[in-house]
Amino acid sequence: MSDICPDSGAIPCEEALERMYEFLDGELSNDSAEEVRVHLERCKKCYPYFNFERVFLDHVRSLRLPPETTERLEARIRKALDDT
Amino acid sequence: MTEDADKRQQFETEALVHMDALYGLALRLTGGDAARSEDLVQDSLLKAFRAWDDFRLGTNCRAWLMTILRNTFINEFRSAQRRPTSVEYDEVADRSVFAEVSSVDPEGNFFERLIDKEVIAAVDALPDDFRIPIVLSDLEGLSYQEISEIMEIPVGTVKSRLFRARKRLQRKLYEYAVEMGYLS
Repeated sequence: MSDICPDSGAIPCEEALERMYEFLDGELSNDSAEEVRVHLERCKKCYPYFNFERVFLDHVRSLRLPPETTERLEARIRKALDDT
Repeated sequence: MTEDADKRQQFETEALVHMDALYGLALRLTGGDAARSEDLVQDSLLKAFRAWDDFRLGTNCRAWLMTILRNTFINEFRSAQRRPTSVEYDEVADRSVFAEVSSVDPEGNFFERLIDKEVIAAVDALPDDFRIPIVLSDLEGLSYQEISEIMEIPVGTVKSRLFRARKRLQRKLYEYAVEMGYLS
């Protein structure tokens, strides 16, 4: 994926790859994200790679933070509050 | 009701109801350390109780408590670090697994076959410097700027830590999936 694809838009593959996580995290400016988007529309090499990374990130993010119940902790905290 | 009892009652209704969510965050920040997580939740809630008069009712109490817990954790983490850790550069671990799976599962369907428990175990097992940015970014949804402020590291460092952390996590999940036959 390090080759420069012909006709792949304003930025070469290296540049698109460099911005990959920032792009997927929504951290790029509109212009910079647009350059990546144009590149992905045209680059047959980068698109599947970005897609794979997006699936990976979506899966990790879908975890979020499930609440965890602990009755012991609740008793402990109520006691600590009583003592304050 | 006395003023103290009133305050306690209000704290119970507004703040204590978020205890499970706080414990969930504490467990992921500490990498699954139950004892440390309980201490962290207790310390954070006591801090919140002491500062209760500063909390404005009607604002987001859960977010306020999560911030207190996050800051408490990072402060402890930072003071326990005698010197800055440097996580070793590892060429294989830092590479995407895409090249390895592109012929069998280019769309990463194997990720869907992993259950939450397996992913959580893999996140918990990451070294602190890698786990914390992942928890803050991917599980809590914070921006690079917010993580940079909380961890007191430059945005560029957040970016590179996240990059390497995700590659390591991805590789762990991939190795696990291979072991379990999810890729066959």
